[in-house]
Amino acid sequence: MQVTMKFVRTKNEDPDQRDSFVVDVDPETSVFEAMSKVREEQDGSLAFRGTCNTGFCGDCTCQANGKRVVPCLVKVKDSVKEDAIEIKLIRNVAPVKDVLYDVDQFMWKKYKYFRPWLETNGTAPAVKDEDLEPVRLAMRCTVCGLCDEGCTVIDVDKEFLGPMALTKGLYRTTKDPRDQDTKQRFIEAGEKKGLWDCVHCWEASEHCPWGINPTHLIMDLRDDSIALGVKSGKGNPMAARHYNAFADSVKKSGWLNERMLASKTYGLPPYGLSLSGMMSQMPIALKAIRKGKASLRPHKSRPGARQIAKIFAKVEQSHKNKKA
Amino acid sequence: MVKVAFYPGCVAKGSCPELYTSSIKVCEKLGIELAELEDVGCTGAGVLSSEISDPINARTLAKAEQMGVPLMTICSTCTGVIALANVRLQDPEYRDKINREFLAEDGLEYKGTTEVKHLLWVLVEDVGLDVLTAASTQPLEGVKISPFYGCYLRRPDEAIKDGNRKSYIEKVTQAIGGTNVDISGKGKCCGFPSLTINEENALAMTAKHTSEARDKGADAMVVPCPLCHLELDGQQSRAEAQEKQDIDMPILHLSQLVGMALGFTPSEMEVQRHFVSTKNVEEKVKSLAVTAS
Repeated sequence: MQVTMKFVRTKNEDPDQRDSFVVDVDPETSVFEAMSKVREEQDGSLAFRGTCNTGFCGDCTCQANGKRVVPCLVKVKDSVKEDAIEIKLIRNVAPVKDVLYDVDQFMWKKYKYFRPWLETNGTAPAVKDEDLEPVRLAMRCTVCGLCDEGCTVIDVDKEFLGPMALTKGLYRTTKDPRDQDTKQRFIEAGEKKGLWDCVHCWEASEHCPWGINPTHLIMDLRDDSIALGVKSGKGNPMAARHYNAFADSVKKSGWLNERMLASKTYGLPPYGLSLSGMMSQMPIALKAIRKGKASLRPHKSRPGARQIAKIFAKVEQSHKNKKA
Repeated sequence: MVKVAFYPGCVAKGSCPELYTSSIKVCEKLGIELAELEDVGCTGAGVLSSEISDPINARTLAKAEQMGVPLMTICSTCTGVIALANVRLQDPEYRDKINREFLAEDGLEYKGTTEVKHLLWVLVEDVGLDVLTAASTQPLEGVKISPFYGCYLRRPDEAIKDGNRKSYIEKVTQAIGGTNVDISGKGKCCGFPSLTINEENALAMTAKHTSEARDKGADAMVVPCPLCHLELDGQQSRAEAQEKQDIDMPILHLSQLVGMALGFTPSEMEVQRHFVSTKNVEEKVKSLAVTAS
């Protein structure tokens, strides 16, 4: 079939550049092959990445007719609309040329932050095959970047380390029974822009073409971090304070005491005297009282509060036993 | 008549009391019988470690199971977190462990049969859109509504179960006579989970969604989650200050929007408790009421 391949060519200053090419391809062929055919036969200056055409290298990620895809995994017949396929950059990346983007800035720098190698002090005991299951899951990630591309947080904050690095860097290493630096890794991951900046919106899981479910892995990492007593890094105290205040509230009364949550997190009376906390929160608190959204009555416990406190006690005891 | 084990969640009984009141009124009018669960805990809201929240949620699911009816929430975060716990608890080995370690000593057992539903799903699947249209004595003709799902009523698929549920707000809005205004961020995070951890990000998200709704001409946004409301309504003025723009976008709870179509006045739906004025919507609804009478 004849398909018009249209390229949104970024940072290409050649006044004679073409952006639209008609190619003759088998409808069963991949979109990446159609892109390559254009480059091979019609315009060798067209810039995009990709080598393997099997989904393995994870390099050719782009938008094809508005869908964010790994184009070697999509057939021409499934992408084409009105005999055309428009190829352009994914979102949230810095363009280099045409459909090339700065992968270092988008992903590699973030991946490196997590020291993506095992710290073993030279000794790595043999491990059971089943203990490596989670490790294998993270290893299936090809760094195609579709999770970071769809990430709600990266949308507003390009510095957020993001689901790819958390999966392939932090999850891969901390789940490996041979790694001996797990706690320190969680302390580093708990700094600003890291593990606790994720808003668990589940976009990453929806976007992953391999079903690796990065959001689920991030929630699992948080559970592991909490079990080791690490609720954020030293330079990111609010995350830990929020977790502790939330947990204290549910532990004491069975449900959320919003007033206590806010006061403990922001360091307000009777739990603290943070000036910045007061400056930022007092106007909201006063407005909430005026509007009848914040009650001044004492917070009542739920009828099942004692049973819920027992759940906390058992889990906390199991963490202590694990550490011992 | 549909009966549910009603799980209002912490925020509807805390800083969004208008959500609780409006939901009770709407359910009463539509014949949804609410048996409120009292002896249950917070879902953990995706904050608490699942090691702690799974047993708490198993306890809640077991209480609903004893009543033999679905568990209904009015908060998408509660829905998502408890539904995900329910997915994990379908594994018999894991469920047995939770039952044995945490529930048995209080004479409880969760058998894995409770269905978790948000009010939105009950409106469409149990009440029915036809009934909703028939009950709308004051259809919201000319009111332009921008649906904002947030995260947990769109993802993850294993908790949502039925993909049709991802467009239920639009269906409800249409059924009660309103006009949908689509925004690209309708299934994105409102920012609330980051509010205490990275406030700048949270406020940037709030500004992005509310300004998009404003630019597309919406009279109001509608949310099925009180956390989205606390963020998009409660933090909107701070988002305006951070992003240096006026937004002024009223945010309605789903129950308030439906309630106004069912004939309740805006003040009966307690819109006066909101931070962002809902005056434009109130005036439109009042003029509809005059036309109807």
